[in-house]
Amino acid sequence: MQTQISEIRTIAFRIVRELLRTRRTLIFWVVFPTLMLVLFGLIYAGSAGTTSNSFDRTTPGILIGAALFFSCLGGPIALIVAERERRTLRRLLLSPLKPISYFLGIVMAFLIIAAGQTLIVYGVSFLFGGRFRGSLFLGMLIICLSVVAYVGMGFFFGARFSKRAEDVNGPVSAFGVPLLVLGGTFFPISLLPSYLLMVAHLDPVLHMNQALRGVSAHHQGLEQIFPHLLFLALFAVAALALGIYSYRVMLVQEKKG
Amino acid sequence: MINIQALEKSFGDKKVLDRLTFSLVPGEIYGLLGPNGSGKSTTINLICNLLDVDDGAIWIDGKAPSDTTKSLIGVAPQEISLYKDLTCQENLHFFANLYGVSRKKRTENINDLIDTFQLHEHANTKVGSLSGGWQRRVNIAVAMVHAPSILILDEPTAGLDVEARYELWRVIEQLKMTGMTILLTTHYLEEAETLCSRIGILQHGRIVAEGAMDELCTLVTAQALAVLETNNKLALCQKASSLGWDYREYGGKLTLLLPQHFTLKQIVEHFDGLPLSSIDLQKIRLEHVYFEVTQDRSNSQRIIA
Repeated sequence: MQTQISEIRTIAFRIVRELLRTRRTLIFWVVFPTLMLVLFGLIYAGSAGTTSNSFDRTTPGILIGAALFFSCLGGPIALIVAERERRTLRRLLLSPLKPISYFLGIVMAFLIIAAGQTLIVYGVSFLFGGRFRGSLFLGMLIICLSVVAYVGMGFFFGARFSKRAEDVNGPVSAFGVPLLVLGGTFFPISLLPSYLLMVAHLDPVLHMNQALRGVSAHHQGLEQIFPHLLFLALFAVAALALGIYSYRVMLVQEKKG
Repeated sequence: MINIQALEKSFGDKKVLDRLTFSLVPGEIYGLLGPNGSGKSTTINLICNLLDVDDGAIWIDGKAPSDTTKSLIGVAPQEISLYKDLTCQENLHFFANLYGVSRKKRTENINDLIDTFQLHEHANTKVGSLSGGWQRRVNIAVAMVHAPSILILDEPTAGLDVEARYELWRVIEQLKMTGMTILLTTHYLEEAETLCSRIGILQHGRIVAEGAMDELCTLVTAQALAVLETNNKLALCQKASSLGWDYREYGGKLTLLLPQHFTLKQIVEHFDGLPLSSIDLQKIRLEHVYFEVTQDRSNSQRIIA
């Protein structure tokens, strides 16, 4: 167990350290959600009554859709492709590292990155009067489940559909962006026609947004957000299982060289 | 150290290893040579437990390949497989951690490797900023960070310029002096000749020749070789046959297998009247042994005849 924890920590810290060295990605993961937050916060200020109300409501969606989505879904895809291209994945296979430790190491790395993004997004929101109004514990739980769901999906797309660096943006754009649109990240789902609204209820992003917005902006408790939290938890477990399965299939192929 | 017995491996209908048998003794550098597709990489993958054996056996320090034996082996893959945004030290620390090397031992090992590979100046440089030669050094150093008892070097000097190659040979020779057991694959025959205590030549998944250099040289049945250039190979071959001298086409060059040592003058006299543009007397080298055991003889003679 201790060995496994050490392996997970080693993988996670390496990813974070590498990320700190590749500033372009880091800047994108910070600048993009910040800009989106400010823009949408100001756009919705009129209809929300006050700027602070607008930022209260906008911040959770921006964190889920513009920050965590690109880092925790696109990030693992890029990471897996990079490991394959520079042949380090093969080197990891030669070591006693357990596949599950590698997987959990990546989850841990993106939880660290997500924590940083959360602090920045809510920090910017704070400057405009936005506040986190509900239970911090519930907020963290929703963010953690969202990260796990994104990383699981990222593993699936990275291991099954992305062989080269050029393939990284494809799955994110083709599968991910529609999820953001349907999930009410950038505009309220009340604008969706009824048949799309039914589809949207199968979208995990919608449940991430609704749960976090409920806790953060409307001070809702576990009881009120429970359906969203349950869907999100089930989806996170399914995504994790799918990610692990895809990763194992990829390892078998990689071992054959 | 490594003992391989009648190893068999197929991918679909294609048999890649066919009752492959060889062993490494402690402290030697064993060179595994062979053309592309002869089974070198598959052999390494089986030793490293990346693939399952179809039949036969591999013993690593008396144990069958498993996750446990991974710690006994250090592999420097053919491609530089390092994290280019991390420094040399960070790469070494990362892999040492994965092998579960204790903090104290890790520091000791890394310091030793920095000395052995003379990485002092580059220890805190990002790997991606280093030249190919230095990256190769780090690639090997990483393979040794957990102090394995066996080191596998898969084409360690592929793609390096001559100077960097010689420099890496010096490092490998230094490792040999420390008693490290090394399995080396290479396409550079001179490299194998210089570094290896014993060499095994692999073809179609089995060892077709094995031994120390002097033992391998006996496989070419000649006292010396004469490499000839001529515009009339046929006449030259007929003359050689009439003299009772064997001939080969090693790497496209007509080569006479001389039954005794001759001077250039004596050879010219034997071929008096035939058009010779050059003659080069050569000692038997690995290159000749390699062609002798891997070349399709009937095909080679057909080209000449």
